[in-house]
Amino acid sequence: MTGVATMRRPRSLSEAIDTLAASPGADLLAGGTDLVPALRTGARPVREMISLRRIVELRARGAAGDWLTIGACATYADLAGWSLAPGLAATARSVGSPQIRNTGTVGGALGTASPRGDLLTFLVAADAGVVVTGPVGQRQLGIGRFLADRHGPDELVTAVKLARPCGPQTYLKIGARQTASIPVASCALVVDRVRRLVRCAIGGVASRPVRALAAEDHVAETADWSTGALPPDAAHRFGELVAEAVTTAPDVAGDDVYAPAAYRSHAAGVLARRAAARCLAGARGADARRP
Amino acid sequence: MTGPGAWPVPGADRALERARIGRSAPRPDGPAKVAGTFPYANDLRVPGMLHARTLRSPHPHARVRRIDATAARAMPGVAAVVTAADVPGVPTYGLIHPDQPVFAPVGGVARYVGEPVAAVAAVDGRTARRALAAIEVEYEPLEPLTDPRRAADPRTPPIHPNGNIYRELTLRHGDPGARGPVEVVDSYLVGQQDQAFLACEAALALPAADGGVDLMLATQWLHSDRDQMAACLGLPEEKVRLTLAGVGGAFGGREDVTLQIHGALLALATGSPVRIAYDREESFLAHPHRHPARMWFRHSATRDGDLIAVAARIVMDGGAYASSSPAVIANAVTHAAGPYRVPNVRVDGVVVRTNNPPCGAMRGFGVPQVTIGHEAQMDRLATALGMDPVALRLRNAIGPGDLLPTGQAVPPPLPVREVIEAVAAAPAPPPATAATPARDRPGGRGAQADPARIRRGTGYGVGVKNLMFSEGFDDSATARVVLELDRDGQPRAVVHTACAEVGQGFVTIAGQIARTELGLDAVVLAPADTAVASAGSTSASRQTWMSGGAVRKASVAAVDEVLRRVAASLRLPPAAAATPRRLLTLADGAVTGPEAGVSVGLADVLAAGGPVDVTETFRHRPTHPMDAFGQGDCHVAYACAAHRAVVDVDLDTGLVRVVELTLAQDVGTMLNPLSVLGQVEGGTAQGLGLALMEELVVTDGMVINTTFHDYLLPTAADVPPLRLIPIEQPAPEAPYGVKGIGEAPTGTATPAIVAAIRDAVGRDLRRVPVRPADLVLPPDPTVYLAPPDEDPEPQGPAEPAARDGMGLSDATPGAGTPPGPDQPPAPGASP
Ligand SMILES: Cc1cc2nc3c(=O)[nH]c(=O)nc-3n(C[C@H](O)[C@H](O)[C@H](O)COP(=O)(O)OP(=O)(O)OC[C@H]3O[C@@H](n4cnc5c(N)ncnc54)[C@H](O)[C@@H]3O)c2cc1C
Repeated sequence: MTGVATMRRPRSLSEAIDTLAASPGADLLAGGTDLVPALRTGARPVREMISLRRIVELRARGAAGDWLTIGACATYADLAGWSLAPGLAATARSVGSPQIRNTGTVGGALGTASPRGDLLTFLVAADAGVVVTGPVGQRQLGIGRFLADRHGPDELVTAVKLARPCGPQTYLKIGARQTASIPVASCALVVDRVRRLVRCAIGGVASRPVRALAAEDHVAETADWSTGALPPDAAHRFGELVAEAVTTAPDVAGDDVYAPAAYRSHAAGVLARRAAARCLAGARGADARRP
Repeated sequence: MTGPGAWPVPGADRALERARIGRSAPRPDGPAKVAGTFPYANDLRVPGMLHARTLRSPHPHARVRRIDATAARAMPGVAAVVTAADVPGVPTYGLIHPDQPVFAPVGGVARYVGEPVAAVAAVDGRTARRALAAIEVEYEPLEPLTDPRRAADPRTPPIHPNGNIYRELTLRHGDPGARGPVEVVDSYLVGQQDQAFLACEAALALPAADGGVDLMLATQWLHSDRDQMAACLGLPEEKVRLTLAGVGGAFGGREDVTLQIHGALLALATGSPVRIAYDREESFLAHPHRHPARMWFRHSATRDGDLIAVAARIVMDGGAYASSSPAVIANAVTHAAGPYRVPNVRVDGVVVRTNNPPCGAMRGFGVPQVTIGHEAQMDRLATALGMDPVALRLRNAIGPGDLLPTGQAVPPPLPVREVIEAVAAAPAPPPATAATPARDRPGGRGAQADPARIRRGTGYGVGVKNLMFSEGFDDSATARVVLELDRDGQPRAVVHTACAEVGQGFVTIAGQIARTELGLDAVVLAPADTAVASAGSTSASRQTWMSGGAVRKASVAAVDEVLRRVAASLRLPPAAAATPRRLLTLADGAVTGPEAGVSVGLADVLAAGGPVDVTETFRHRPTHPMDAFGQGDCHVAYACAAHRAVVDVDLDTGLVRVVELTLAQDVGTMLNPLSVLGQVEGGTAQGLGLALMEELVVTDGMVINTTFHDYLLPTAADVPPLRLIPIEQPAPEAPYGVKGIGEAPTGTATPAIVAAIRDAVGRDLRRVPVRPADLVLPPDPTVYLAPPDEDPEPQGPAEPAARDGMGLSDATPGAGTPPGPDQPPAPGASP
């Protein structure tokens, strides 16, 4: 790091909000796995920093009624074994290496909002809510809205809200080094057996996670919802429709050092087929809850 | 000041003290490295030092119109800005040929992205970085030459006064027109690998009172750096003193000068100590990489599988400056037929200048590229013949006495047959089943590969690698051994060489050799520096043989001197005094001679006669340049290796998991089995990296992936444990029968893994690294290199077929060789 800047270390959320109000737009430091490399390379200028690492209340996670709430400073390691949120846990387990999982946080993932971010892709499939808090209080945004608008300079992400799972969910990804890295393509699938629908998001392929709506509809229409099973070939068709959704997505990523675009859509289709086979195999679908 | 220290032998550690050759003595620097306390060059600090940064051209090819550093110089905290105008000596440097400017000069041309234009020293790194931004440079972008095939075309205008061809070699052995009934022909591409040593380039430059400069740095060859620096700084060599600081890996990437001259210039300009150190991105831009290669091969054989002929054409991209390109292409050409008996060989090789990043030495030095080619060809020939790939290789394995394509008879030993048989006989790993946890399937837990869609493949890679410098180079290594009394009056030996310890373990081996020869446990290695004569480069698998040979020679001479003194003091008869070793032995700190009834402590000998101080220089047997047809005894010795790779491939995603790697290697005599294992494990991992992921992507001269986020190195998740089967056959010409071991396995791991993937998916893989997309998308029909123009009539020997753009054959590596009269500056090209 090339510069010396002030670093504030609030101990509570209210103190953090006051500090942020005093210097809006200051860099929030959570795990630092994105921020520190960016400061080191000079990709981001060194500015005032507010560390969120001492705010214990932001690390809490819990369940109340139909909702699961995850504090912004929860790390991937905190989530990796959470049985109440199997899809989120699978996503957390797939991130980076143990070192990254021990430090990287939910809030940081939303702050960076990388189109390849694993968590983002899952949150899109889970239709999550993002809670942001500022001097005038807190407000909740849908994940899509959050990705479009982000948060104000005097606000920070304080929590993420997920509906309690109503069926199998999974997260699959392809990446270099046996997938111990940012994905080349990933697929989050959330099955809601109560509402008889699925949501599928594909990560790594465009400027933000891509929802495969036609593929989702195909499953909703063809699945036997009494058993939660797809007929033979439907998983295959689901994969094809997902691959198509990727190819036709707006601002789809081109060829890059990680992979050609054609590989990404192919891989997305394969992962979607696998995800469907795991989550929509009827009674055997329970297996999807296990890693 | 934290500085490079000696590596003492801890007195309390008897196990270490007892470490003689042949034992797995632990590294003396191991605990500090593991604990994080080892001082690497990057850790060097002195009070009051300045921090240097380098300004680099963002263009692959551009004329420098103007440089204005006025504003930068005026910034508070900036001590100096240096440009080409401030280089007092020769304006260019280079490992073999000085064709690379210290800084691209005004009016001159910058030839690659990252070429240095100026350097700044300031009170801290941040100020230095801001000063770089304040330097105004006006560039006139020129058309970049980035296709090596175009560069090889004589009609392409030269981008440097020395022309675009670094070296062109023609090898003709046997009947160049010979063909067999079964043929396989194809072209191959090898991408650009980086050495990616973990500790980036760093040095501390200290101005000296005598007008000279002292440099503490991480390098592979102190004296080569010293000579190049002195020439550019306009200083006599004795005023440029280099000391090796802790080196965090090298792999060839520290053979070339990068920051040395810049740091010294700034120290001399400011009169202050200067720390110059690169970050990863700058490191990727600053040092030369492994040569990307395009290769065409035609193998032909009898129907029984006897090789009749190998024809090859090799085009290597040397990038913007020569570095070691002329020597690399010689290795590629002479090794193109592999470890096989081939009566008829024709190879045309050329390495060219382009506006891509410069390429130079990297572990294997031109051999890994051709090994990828010839091993792919052997597998495809086996398929064409309906033969087992192992049987085909065994049938054609070369052995001692057989003729290499250079006409050189293979010097013994070369157990090619043995290494192949050893890996083929090793037990195969259990197959993947539905019970294999997802973590262990291709792509790991994230990808959840479907067990029914996983295919197992097995492949072999066999190779031979030359050891040490070639083509008549007068290679030497010097060691000094001093036997003296320490402060407590105890005898100890101080071993002093200029050998660069870059992680390979010379510090371990040198201690083992000295202890063995001197019969003394207390051995201290002095820091490597230029106060002693050159050790040569830590490269070409040469230091255990060369500097190890020098340490042995000096140790033996020191013992002889001790025994001579004792013999003289005992007034032995002249016959006995002349050969005191027949009567006397030095062991455990005492000279004894039961027959003569003698027992004298070494301490007493040294107390009476003063320290014993000997310096010896070791040389290997001479080699010879190749003739115009690539014929000649150009290499000293060879080592062979065979890898067997077992992979699982997910047919749906193209993800690969290397399940198992077995290596059988020709290791001569193992002086330290643990050290051998460390070397071959590292070499294997680096070969795996090239097979599957390591590629510096260069588009239109721009390097795209200059971080470890994008340039992928294999980790523990990718590299399975290695089974090593050492084949110990002492090399008679080498000290203790050793062979260099670091390079051979790098060359064979890659083709073995590629072959295993080919076996699993049934596709001919012609491009390395193999990417998942190459396994699932439609095959790429690109012809990577057209065949050479055939000239079945052998040319008369009077007509020289080798065009040596560098005048290498009689040039000595090092700076100061001016362009020869055969290289007039080309019209239209700029210096
Ligand atoms: C080696 C390595 C491997 C990685 N592998 C993966 C991978 O496999 N998959 C993947 O998805 N990611 C990966 N990452 C990226 C990274 O770990 C994640 O994006 C992580 O979630 C970021 O969290 P953090 O706490 O470290 O954020 P920080 O770096 O602290 O912050 C990131 C950004 O978010 C802002 N921010 C932090 N907290 C908040 C908040 N509460 N509200 C608003 N903004 C906030 C910061 O100001 C900053 O702009 C990897 C990173 C590295 C270095």
